[in-house]
Amino acid sequence: MVSRLPFYFLLTGLICFALFQIGTLSDFSAWLYEFSMEPRYPTGWAKAHLHVLGWATMIAMGAVYQLVPVVLQNHKLFSERLGYIQYGVFTFGFAGLMIGFQQMNVLMIGGFATIAFLGILIFAGNIGMTLARANLWNHVTVSCAIAVGHLVLTGVAGMLMGLNFAFEWLGTFHDQLLGAHLWFGAIGWFGFLITGFSYKLFPMFYLSHGHSEVLQRWVMGFLFSGVWMGVISFLLNAPAWSHWIGLLCTAAGFTIYVYHLGQICKSRHKANPGAGILWSWLLAQGIAVIVVLLVIVSAVFPDLILSPRMTAVIGWMYLWGWVGMTIMAYLSKIIPFLWWTYRYGSRVGQVKIPTMADLIDDRKVNILLMAVAVSLFILLIGFGWNLPLVLSIGGSLLAVSALVYVGLLAAVFTK
Amino acid sequence: MEKHITEETIIELLKEVYDPELGINIVDLGLIYEVKINGGHVYVRMTLTTPGCPMHTAIVGGVHRALEGEPGIQSVDVHLVWEPRWTPDRMTPEGREALGYF
Repeated sequence: MVSRLPFYFLLTGLICFALFQIGTLSDFSAWLYEFSMEPRYPTGWAKAHLHVLGWATMIAMGAVYQLVPVVLQNHKLFSERLGYIQYGVFTFGFAGLMIGFQQMNVLMIGGFATIAFLGILIFAGNIGMTLARANLWNHVTVSCAIAVGHLVLTGVAGMLMGLNFAFEWLGTFHDQLLGAHLWFGAIGWFGFLITGFSYKLFPMFYLSHGHSEVLQRWVMGFLFSGVWMGVISFLLNAPAWSHWIGLLCTAAGFTIYVYHLGQICKSRHKANPGAGILWSWLLAQGIAVIVVLLVIVSAVFPDLILSPRMTAVIGWMYLWGWVGMTIMAYLSKIIPFLWWTYRYGSRVGQVKIPTMADLIDDRKVNILLMAVAVSLFILLIGFGWNLPLVLSIGGSLLAVSALVYVGLLAAVFTK
Repeated sequence: MEKHITEETIIELLKEVYDPELGINIVDLGLIYEVKINGGHVYVRMTLTTPGCPMHTAIVGGVHRALEGEPGIQSVDVHLVWEPRWTPDRMTPEGREALGYF
């Protein structure tokens, strides 16, 4: 029997994603202009968390619930029931947090953030116990464990910021906590999860065999060093070179990651792994190039990347361009797999049933992801050069193409 | 008169079980290591392309469903093994052609 638990997370994540796009379309992306001037305002917080918590983290949690038992060779979750409880707690806390941000109600923000954080702790406990009981440690499971650990730390940093917001204990230390919150979440949680799961998904869809896995531990080592160097640099208000070393380690991690994905591709035995995997491969190369360029640029102009506008551009490139689009690309594989297993898994060998490729049109996946990428590029030009009209056009095109993509994914559930 | 099942018949029946991602049957993929018949009892030793294959339950269940209920088969025992590990060399020429890479 297929667990329905990942479906809850994936569907909620897709709904949040669609709401984010509808919100953007409703004001012709005007909020993006405000966001590019100063990201730290109530609507900015709400939108950023709708994207990062409601969409990306919700989907990532669903993927963890689906893939961890698979990677552990059909070892069951520590507690499926706890998974459903976690879904309820996290979703309730997240929804209240959104309303709290919109209304700028400090009490609501604090209360619901605590509930959402409790949801994260339950998630970490459930996955931690599952991994510990299975005791099957490889680069995928270790990456997953590190990612979940960093998710908890992202929550801790966020909670401390929330408390400081309410009681003003820490003064300007708030900004240092924000830096730690971003490093833990962006690289520590999403970075480790995506790279770790890629070590499973790439060989599976390329049918790769015999490739070396040595570089996986180098990727982990560099990303880990990057996250902690970045976090410590912010917390200690360290000089620019310290931040730069964190960025350098991260760039080294992504560069080795891309090289390693190339090794996996070289040992493939299947010509076409599907549009979702090809896109995630392309996106990995893109983010590696961007991070390396950032290392070079920030060495010459150390203050440039810490300006609010540049932070917004980098944040969008990373969280939309790499994390968001990679999740979208992987969903074109994960959703057909989940639905196929649920609908047809118990009929294999009995009757003629469709293959997974029959559930989603790869050509449409390709076209829509291309549309998303082009729209994002236009949006980033608008962000970078402070062009409100270009920003509105790019943002709206991005929202439309993303919404159509959600429709394509949702259509799988009708097949 | 009770029908006697043969290894060839079992292999043909197993060709109805497809890997849903690759679109290739498990025989041409080279996943079947051994088939033994003892009266009406069928024993299948097989593997999957990778340990921790998400299709584990569906494919093993598919082997049961493809064989159980066939005339001459009383019981089916499927033994999933990871040693020796599957390699692409185990695929039949039909399987290789279907993957489009060889």
